[in-house]
Amino acid sequence: MLLSSQYAALGVLLIAPTVLVFCAVIVYPLVSAIYLSLFSIYTPTLQGKWVGLDNYAKLLASGEFWGALRVTLVWTIGTLVLQLVFGIALALLLHQNLVFRSLARGLILFPYFVSTVVAVLVWRWLFNDLYGILNHVLLAAGLIDMPLDWLGQMPNAMVSLILVGAWKYFPFVVITVLARLQTIPDHLYEAAEMDGAGPVARFFDVTLPQLRDVLLVVILLRAIWDFKEFDLIWLMTGGGPVTSTQTLPLLVYRSAFGLNEMGGASAVAVLMMLVMLVFMALYIRAQRQE
Amino acid sequence: MRNRSLTSRILLNVLAWSIVFVIAFPLVWMILTSVKPQFELFRIPPTILPQEVTFEHYHRVLVETPFLKYFRNSVILAVGTTVLVIVIATLGAHSLVRFSYPGRERLAQLVLFTYLLPSVVLIIPLYLLMVWLGIANTLFSLMLAYTTFALPFALWLLRSFMQGIPQDLEAAALVDGASRMEAFVDVILPQAVPGIISTALFTFILAWNEYLYALVLVNTDEARPLTTGVMNMLITAFNIEWSLLMAASVMMSLPVIIVFALLQKHLTRGFGAGGVKG
Amino acid sequence: MAFDSTLKTGVSRRAVLAGVGAAGALAATSFSTPVRAQQATLRWWSPQAAPAQREAYLFQIAQFEKANPGVKVLFEPTSDEAYAQQLAAAFASGQVPNIVTHLPSFAVQDYWAAGLLEPFNDVITALGPQNFYEGANRIYEIDKGKYAGTGVGNTAANMLWVRKDLMQKASIDAIPRTWDELRNAARKMQGGGIFGAPLPYGRNSMTSLIFIGVIHQAGGQVFTPDLQVGIDTDKTLAALDWYKSMRELCPAGATNYSWGDSLTAFVSGATATGIYAGRVLANVTRQNPGIADSITCAAYPTISKDVEPWTFNDFPSVFIPKAAKDMEMTKKFAAHLFAPEGYIKQLLAAPGHVLPVLKPIAADPNYTADPIIKKFQKEVDLMAASAAGGYNLGFESAKHKPNTKGGKVVNSHVIAEMVQRVCLNNENPKTVLGETAKKIEEIMKS
Repeated sequence: MLLSSQYAALGVLLIAPTVLVFCAVIVYPLVSAIYLSLFSIYTPTLQGKWVGLDNYAKLLASGEFWGALRVTLVWTIGTLVLQLVFGIALALLLHQNLVFRSLARGLILFPYFVSTVVAVLVWRWLFNDLYGILNHVLLAAGLIDMPLDWLGQMPNAMVSLILVGAWKYFPFVVITVLARLQTIPDHLYEAAEMDGAGPVARFFDVTLPQLRDVLLVVILLRAIWDFKEFDLIWLMTGGGPVTSTQTLPLLVYRSAFGLNEMGGASAVAVLMMLVMLVFMALYIRAQRQE
Repeated sequence: MRNRSLTSRILLNVLAWSIVFVIAFPLVWMILTSVKPQFELFRIPPTILPQEVTFEHYHRVLVETPFLKYFRNSVILAVGTTVLVIVIATLGAHSLVRFSYPGRERLAQLVLFTYLLPSVVLIIPLYLLMVWLGIANTLFSLMLAYTTFALPFALWLLRSFMQGIPQDLEAAALVDGASRMEAFVDVILPQAVPGIISTALFTFILAWNEYLYALVLVNTDEARPLTTGVMNMLITAFNIEWSLLMAASVMMSLPVIIVFALLQKHLTRGFGAGGVKG
Repeated sequence: MAFDSTLKTGVSRRAVLAGVGAAGALAATSFSTPVRAQQATLRWWSPQAAPAQREAYLFQIAQFEKANPGVKVLFEPTSDEAYAQQLAAAFASGQVPNIVTHLPSFAVQDYWAAGLLEPFNDVITALGPQNFYEGANRIYEIDKGKYAGTGVGNTAANMLWVRKDLMQKASIDAIPRTWDELRNAARKMQGGGIFGAPLPYGRNSMTSLIFIGVIHQAGGQVFTPDLQVGIDTDKTLAALDWYKSMRELCPAGATNYSWGDSLTAFVSGATATGIYAGRVLANVTRQNPGIADSITCAAYPTISKDVEPWTFNDFPSVFIPKAAKDMEMTKKFAAHLFAPEGYIKQLLAAPGHVLPVLKPIAADPNYTADPIIKKFQKEVDLMAASAAGGYNLGFESAKHKPNTKGGKVVNSHVIAEMVQRVCLNNENPKTVLGETAKKIEEIMKS
């Protein structure tokens, strides 16, 4: 860092636009949100009165917040685990010498890049109760004898969501893991093979330890993004049936715009951030201790 | 890599390609549906391949709906966001990696913290801000709003890229008499190009696909992007026209496919190099 | 550094709020000053924007722009599920559309009560109050002598649609009049890939609205005439019980049905009965002409012959936000929407769906000559009569006071949630109903 210290002013100048934008579009709205959470506000008029911590007290006493938190955790953990399993498996597979390997990679990565709106439309069409291909294939194969209600009943709705979430986001795991796989030196495998390790042992003894750092980051990022996911769930089930798939972001949105209670909605959002913060702190701490 | 028997290689290929097919099937189905005549959709059992191929739905989407207007908006929006974010983030990341000043570490932590922010909570304050600035309901206001998630992401990604560029290169340039900015432009930037391309692609795609901000912040067709536009246009209380929706979906995905097909290598390589380091 | 600006922006947040208030006040005073030249851009929102309707709107706009050089009108579609938050954002910022059409009347009542709307009296006067159907405007008269808006049409949203060919095949000779008859008929017609009915069980406004109708068809009500919560009765329990028993006669996906799905299910021939407004006619004619000759409609059945049918009319409205710019021109445009040529085009974009509110229009030969209106004259007349005697949550019966919280109750989805909990989750109806009544009370208090 020898040459760095003399140029502090230039460094500050270069970071200034970032800080400016951060303050304008992140810090300021965030502070506003916390401020708003202390009021009872009717969204269209933005008229509010000070209620202090009442919004929080009400939330913590209501089943709705805890229910949404539970749903959020189920969704996040469910979809995250599937993403990791599929992602690592597919990365290992795509690392092999396949015919048209780059085409296969392109196709695999596509769900990640396609718009959530498109993904939801396509899946809702696949899931359609009357004309959906999925029910017909399953009926024809004799796996079910009545069309399945994919999105309107529990536990189907949550399972469908988790599956579509995994389909949409596992390519992120594939990309990162694949990139790391390519940098694992061959001699590590050769040495392991020499010691008589089979493919499974090689995976656990060589591949996985090498992937550890990447996976820690991937898990952190994906957990945060899945926790915050709004579009997919909102467009897929809207939180139904009843509130079985209503995650925290949906609760925020519904309080703010369905019930026009900006203050209560902000309080949910603030609590949601706190939950994430706690989880992230625990995660980073555990990671450091290892 | 290692020797394998022919059978196991064929098996591997069959397995891999069947999985790829299953994963890509929804997208294949989207394309197939979009070229079937409407009456064929409601047939029980459904036809797999269209018995009659028609491009009528594409024609209808393009001619009878404001699809092209939304498309134009989305292009401007995604490109604008990408340029804005990349310029700011490249400078910022360079500063975070190669300079030292008080508060630098805290700033890097703040970047990570902003990952936690759910978009829903920023929306109303942001909208008020846009009104106050006199830019509400414009594409520019959406670009600014998109920086809330795109900038931390880009900054974080570019930062890890730039950490991978050896210090001595810049030091050598400085010894040769270059100023810091010259060294940045001549030495660091060329080295960072793969990272910048990859970051730009991700930003572009994030902006192209964004839904929530567009839903709340913009309520005029003049600035409405495809995501909310298409939902508004075709999922309505009076009719759900699946064939039109699928045709619109295909066209909506085209830019992503093109960007992706042309730059896939950059994307994977660049992203790996940057993302791995954490 | 970051914290300094935080403090600063923390202050300006209040300034923004004050600024918004000032902007509203400015806008409020601006229409007492004469309209400057004829340079204006008017924004028009509607959730009814099927391609054919949009075409009719553009025709109306073109006519208006021709008659008023320098004025530009932008049509911007919204949707039934999204209008609430889009308008909330628009009102919050002061950047409102000039005119909003086709929202249900209870939304208008809600915004009026919050003081967000411009009285509509001038436009009604311009149109001639005598031209409206009897009582068409009473739901908008929340404060004595001031109208929050007016109807742009009438809709009989919960008509029972049936397929005569399927009825014949199942040897049912009369259109069901009671719930039991309907259930039996649906059961007989179900089979071979065809379901009995497309009733909605989704967590959305359709389920709430349809079920409010079912409560009334059981002889119950959601609110008493003086707006106390009156939902917790045996009648609602009977409604829940019947609605639940219909579940097995509806397609699997009905658990997520909203208007579009329900309509498409009947039109595509997947269900033997339907529940919708007049748009069925246009859609069947275009998408499934094979069944066009065998469809007809009737008022939705009730629990017994003693209970009169209750038609849900969402009273598609038109209103003007108070903060709209160019108020004179906006009012002129609002009146223009009812000018016969354009208004008839608009109505005929979905014949029989949005029915005219002006008597002269209903009798206009240009309107009655439409082939669909002609072919389905009996059905259209029935829907017009039903809609004229229709109600909704903002106005549950002739005895009820206008309910300015109706929109809130619907948008909170409490009623749809009650339906889902009882019909899908098999929870105890009594407990659920008690809790629902409490939730509605809370909404009324807030």
